[in-house]
Amino acid sequence: MSDIGNILSFRSLKAGYVTGGKHHTVLADAFASACEGELIAVIGRNGAGKSTLLRTIAGIQPLLSGSLIIGGMDIKDYSRGDLSRFVGYISTETVRVGNMRVYDLVAQGRFPYTNWFGTIEADDHDAIMASLTKAGMKSFEDRMLNELSDGERQRAMIAMILAQDAKLMVMDEPTAFLDISNKFGISNLLRELSADRKKTIIFSTHDPGMAISMADRIWLIRDSRVIEGAPEDLVLSGEFSTLFNSSRVIFDPEDGSFRMPSAAGTRVNLKGEGKYRFWTMKALERAGYITDDSDRGLLVEAPSENHPLWKCSSDSGTRTFENIYELIRWLGRKQIIY
Amino acid sequence: MSGKKVLLNNSQPAFSGKRLIFAGLSAGLILFFLLDLFLGSVHIKPAETIRALFNGSDEVTRTIIIHFRLPRAVTAVMAGIALSMSGLQMQTLFRNPMAGPYVLGLSSGAGLGVAFVILGFPSEVSPENIKAAGNWAIAGASWAGAGMVMILIMIISSRVKNIMTLLIIGIMLSSGISAVVSIMQYFSSETMLKTYVVWTMGSLGNLTSGQLIVLALSVLAGLLISLLSVKILNALLLGENYARTLGLNLKSARIIIITGTSILTGTITAFCGPIAFIGIAVPHLVRIMFGTSDHKVLIPATVVTGALIMLASDLISQLPGSDNVLPVNSVTSLIGIPVVMWVIFRNQKTGDIF
Repeated sequence: MSDIGNILSFRSLKAGYVTGGKHHTVLADAFASACEGELIAVIGRNGAGKSTLLRTIAGIQPLLSGSLIIGGMDIKDYSRGDLSRFVGYISTETVRVGNMRVYDLVAQGRFPYTNWFGTIEADDHDAIMASLTKAGMKSFEDRMLNELSDGERQRAMIAMILAQDAKLMVMDEPTAFLDISNKFGISNLLRELSADRKKTIIFSTHDPGMAISMADRIWLIRDSRVIEGAPEDLVLSGEFSTLFNSSRVIFDPEDGSFRMPSAAGTRVNLKGEGKYRFWTMKALERAGYITDDSDRGLLVEAPSENHPLWKCSSDSGTRTFENIYELIRWLGRKQIIY
Repeated sequence: MSGKKVLLNNSQPAFSGKRLIFAGLSAGLILFFLLDLFLGSVHIKPAETIRALFNGSDEVTRTIIIHFRLPRAVTAVMAGIALSMSGLQMQTLFRNPMAGPYVLGLSSGAGLGVAFVILGFPSEVSPENIKAAGNWAIAGASWAGAGMVMILIMIISSRVKNIMTLLIIGIMLSSGISAVVSIMQYFSSETMLKTYVVWTMGSLGNLTSGQLIVLALSVLAGLLISLLSVKILNALLLGENYARTLGLNLKSARIIIITGTSILTGTITAFCGPIAFIGIAVPHLVRIMFGTSDHKVLIPATVVTGALIMLASDLISQLPGSDNVLPVNSVTSLIGIPVVMWVIFRNQKTGDIF
């Protein structure tokens, strides 16, 4: 890929950590790039090197070898202060300080711009307030950090690196520990930031569904290398299946979903339409059945406008059920009898 | 003063409340300073004391006030400021509420430096004989001793993350250093030993004017370095990783803080002996009173509160109205330990650092 329009690119990147003079390589010979304003999801299994890569980009872990170009300059040529004006970073580490107001935390983002005493001037104050507003935390300005929920705390951290005015925002699992609505809230915020403000955001996630649905590009880490591409490209080329498929989980490239592998179970002939058919199918699969449209074996009919109940017909007769739970329970008991 | 300017900062909510507390503390500081001059084992009327300060009293009274009580009060102020400030800086640097110059062994390290100077040289060149140079030698050795312990703790703290573990390591270091000093004592002559033992008892009142000058200059220097670290300390609150990505040069930050705390703790330990629990307790009291983690507020508040509490401890130790004097170390311990205990219990409950 060409370097034009790239805000970040690395070649033959070797990253890892050094303890007692020994190099522990986590990533070897990795190549990837990011264009301005892109939202990039970093995925990979536990221990694959997601955090190592992000920490290396943020400059808090040394680059072992290779080149890492940020904003047209090698990371090695940046001073600490200059890099902090270009790259903002949020780790998985939560800031646990009592007596700290949200405003004070966000004000820390002005560190690269304030004088030796850290005086907050009028323009710093404006930047802080704008960042709080952007992150949806304006009304939390005077709240104490330890009174915030996990989602609010994450927003406050994002406000801090917005105040840092860095073009590149690096976040290590920004939605970990968040409930589903906060997860989507933060995801939406990240999308807004990359769309409106020309921020480039690189974030790691354990949620491949989220990566597929929101990222412009995915960096998939496997075997110490980075495979990059649009999420859909990686699905079609089978990279997702290779990464995730195991005895515990199956990735379905047809619809991008994950499910538990089903043992070769009894076949069930499922009839019905729409959401009733879909969720009945899910329940049957969970219970270990394979559904198809053939006219053989057990027949299960999902409710329709004509009859609002679930029906199950076999050689021994037809039964009706008021809900899926009863249907599955009955099927389970029936199996034992066989 | 820069501290005042920040208290007026419009971004501080309820800042008038904080300003009131600050004014109250300052008034208390002046009051206790005067009380420290007025009260003592010899009864002198306040009016007489004031007159003595302005050369208007008889010879004896003037000697007591100018040569005994005034240096003592000034020393107490210096000691309070220096120990509290180094406690504040250490707590932020190690992100550990249990950090302080005494509990982590900095005072012991400084004591080792003093022991080297007092016990390590033949008595003809003992500090008492070489006067001014001796004072600086003792101060310098204390700085080096405190600095060494500080660097050791720094290295260890990067490997242990548990808050209480660091405390245990501090105790180990102190014990180890005491053992070394005991061995040195064993091989020392009687006169040297006597000088050293008198030193270890610690006191705010036995300073010569030469020592007072060294003390004042050193504390001033340490304080200036601490003032340089306001921004650094605020960033370090977030942890070293965040501080670095915000643009902090960790190495120079550590050097500044280690230098500042070593000078402050070392100087006080050199001339007043080890004084316990002021350094660890005062920053917590200040955080409770001011409800902030911003060092632009914490530093001036710690300076005033530290001086105030040390003056109060000195007053109590002199048991006004009686001829007895308590070791100031016992008083500071009795004031500081409850605060430290409270911090431990609260930390167990909230998991917050401060």
